[in-house]
This record gives sequence, structure tokens and C-alpha cells, in this order.
Amino acid sequence: MTSSETGYLLNDDQVADFIINGYHIVKPSFSKNFHSDVYTALEGLPTNPGDAVNDAVPALDQIYTHPSVVGALSSLLGSDYTMAEHRHCHRNHPGTRSQMWHQDNLNIPMLEDGHGRVPDHVRSVLVMYYPQNVEANMGPTALIPGSHLFTSAPDRNASQGNFRDQIIATVDAGSLLILHYDIWHAGTANTSDKVRYMVKYLFERKSESEDPSWNHDSSQDTRILDRLEKDEAAALQRSLVSKRNYLRTKMWNNLAGSARLEYEYRDKWAGAWPQPVK
Amino acid sequence: MAIKQRLLYLSGQSMDPRSPAISQALHEPIEGTIVEIDPTAKGLDYATVHDAVVDGWRIVHFPDQRGSVYDSDVEVIGFQFILEKLEEFND
Repeated sequence: MTSSETGYLLNDDQVADFIINGYHIVKPSFSKNFHSDVYTALEGLPTNPGDAVNDAVPALDQIYTHPSVVGALSSLLGSDYTMAEHRHCHRNHPGTRSQMWHQDNLNIPMLEDGHGRVPDHVRSVLVMYYPQNVEANMGPTALIPGSHLFTSAPDRNASQGNFRDQIIATVDAGSLLILHYDIWHAGTANTSDKVRYMVKYLFERKSESEDPSWNHDSSQDTRILDRLEKDEAAALQRSLVSKRNYLRTKMWNNLAGSARLEYEYRDKWAGAWPQPVK
Repeated sequence: MAIKQRLLYLSGQSMDPRSPAISQALHEPIEGTIVEIDPTAKGLDYATVHDAVVDGWRIVHFPDQRGSVYDSDVEVIGFQFILEKLEEFND
């Protein structure tokens, strides 16, 4: 990793944010017309090139070698991560209807180790690149923060529409949405008169962490553990909260290697008495 | 004019109809409509199932009283109530 890329590594709170919410947004800086040129090139494709989208639009290669992208992916997957062969250009044209909430398919041979759902680790991430501004009526990607920790029941999701705490990814041109592979997400309806492109990639972990692959500061451990126990991502039933907290800490420890957080008893209740309600 | 059934699926944070609503899906009795995520929506239509009942919706299905199954392979977020309203539609 170059010193430039090291400067873009995530910090403890950003990694905790990813574990809690399941997503992270990167905005690599490029020249003024870079993303509009990519958009124009995508518009000019006669058919969907599938996995060969980078051959059809070579400028896409530059995005994934940008230090801010390398830094974020190294932080989450280790510095020896790889880009999977599978990628897909989503063309969301005016009139496109909403997808159902879903977790992406596990039955793709490009997932090298063919793993199942991984609610306690980051083995692979989806990276969604948007070459144009995405407004709310242009079919933005919707996601449920924190849902990557749970395995969805697709039959039940078919009867769920808006979630109270859903995130609608209205983003600036050139933004990359990095998602835990198992997050519940959906493309939404495009009611505008504009085509919305999103090019999706898959990145994979190749080795287990021996040490944190991000800018780690062990003096923050107690505060981070507190965040993993208390921060809300989206409203859940109480029966899932303890499972959620356990999976968050286990995920952190799988990422951190030797710098694992230790669960130690500490008195969280001492302090001022509650005051009478006025 | 015909009386038709509107269906509102509302998931609560618990089986208590006064618990905060987590998600909603409105099924209108109109040909061609589907349940979609509305990215332009500002929150849910009702804060609780009880608020929907106050507004005239009638509960026709209560969530399974067994609640969540511990250590289940799959998770469902929220406890789903199904409500109906019978209204006149001008087809």
C-alpha cells in the first residue's frame, strides 16, 4: 500500500460505523468532467457488457485504484483484498419500478469460497458507483441500516414497503456506496425523466486479520465497545437487539485480529439518581 | 362505484399495537398497482398501529403471539399487523 493510500485508511469510528450500519460512502476526487464522461460512455453502449463493463468503459478502472477507495477497502477487507470477476451495470430508466427488499444472491460462482451469509465478519463487500447525481425520484438505492447482521426471509419481505429508518442513497455524481454483502437493499422506482446508472462491483477478503488494517487507536476501545452496544442503526424488536450487539462485537474482533475487544464487566449504572418527572 | 378492500401492512416494534411502527406497505385494490418503496416518502403514514386504527383502519390479522423464534435461521424485522379499510372506488 502506498503512503497516499495509507492516508485514506478509515479510523476506529468509521469502521464501527460500518459494522453498525453496514455501509460507507466514499467520494474520490476526479477532474470536473470525469464522471459525466463515464455517464456518456455508458449511454453509448449498445448492449449491457456484463462482466466486461470495464473493457467497454476503461475509465472505470481509475475509480478502483483511487487512494480513497483503496484505503476504505483495505480497512474493511485487509490490504490483500481482490476484485471479483463479477460486476454489473444497472441501467435504471424512467418508469423502472421498485425492487423488493433483498439480500444479494449467494449462488454466484464468482464468490470464490462460496460462503453463506456472514453476519459476524466482512468477507465481501458490494461497491456501487454512481456516475451522476442521484435525486430521490431517480431510483436511488434504498437500504436498511444494520440489516446485514440478519438473514432475511424473502417471502416476508415481499409484503414490506417503506421502513421507518431506511436510508435512501441520494448521492453526488462519483460517489461510491460500499455495502456489507448481506445488507438488505433495493433499487427504487425511477419516476424522473432521467436514466440513472449504477455500476456494481464485488470485492473479497483474501486473508484473516492479524492486526487492524485501519488507523486503529487502542485507547478508544472502551468507547468503541460502548458504541457497539448502544448505537441504534434501525428500529428492531427487542429480541434481536442482544443478537445484534453480539454480532457487532464479533465482527469487530474478526476484523481486528490481535486488537480484539474484551468483554469485561463494568458498572454502567452507577451515577446520579433519576430525577422526578415534572 | 364499488366497495373495495384496502390493505395496510404495518410492522410494529412489539406485538403491542401502540409500539412504534417500523415498516408499512399499502396494497390498493387497483389493477396494476404494486407495493413499492417510495424514496420520496417522509416517514411512515402512521407512528403506531393504534394511530391507524384511530384513523379508521381495522385490524384483520394480528402477529403470531409466539413472537420471534430464538436462534431462527431467518429473521423478520418487526411484528406484522394487517389492517383493512373498505372504501368506494370509482373504477
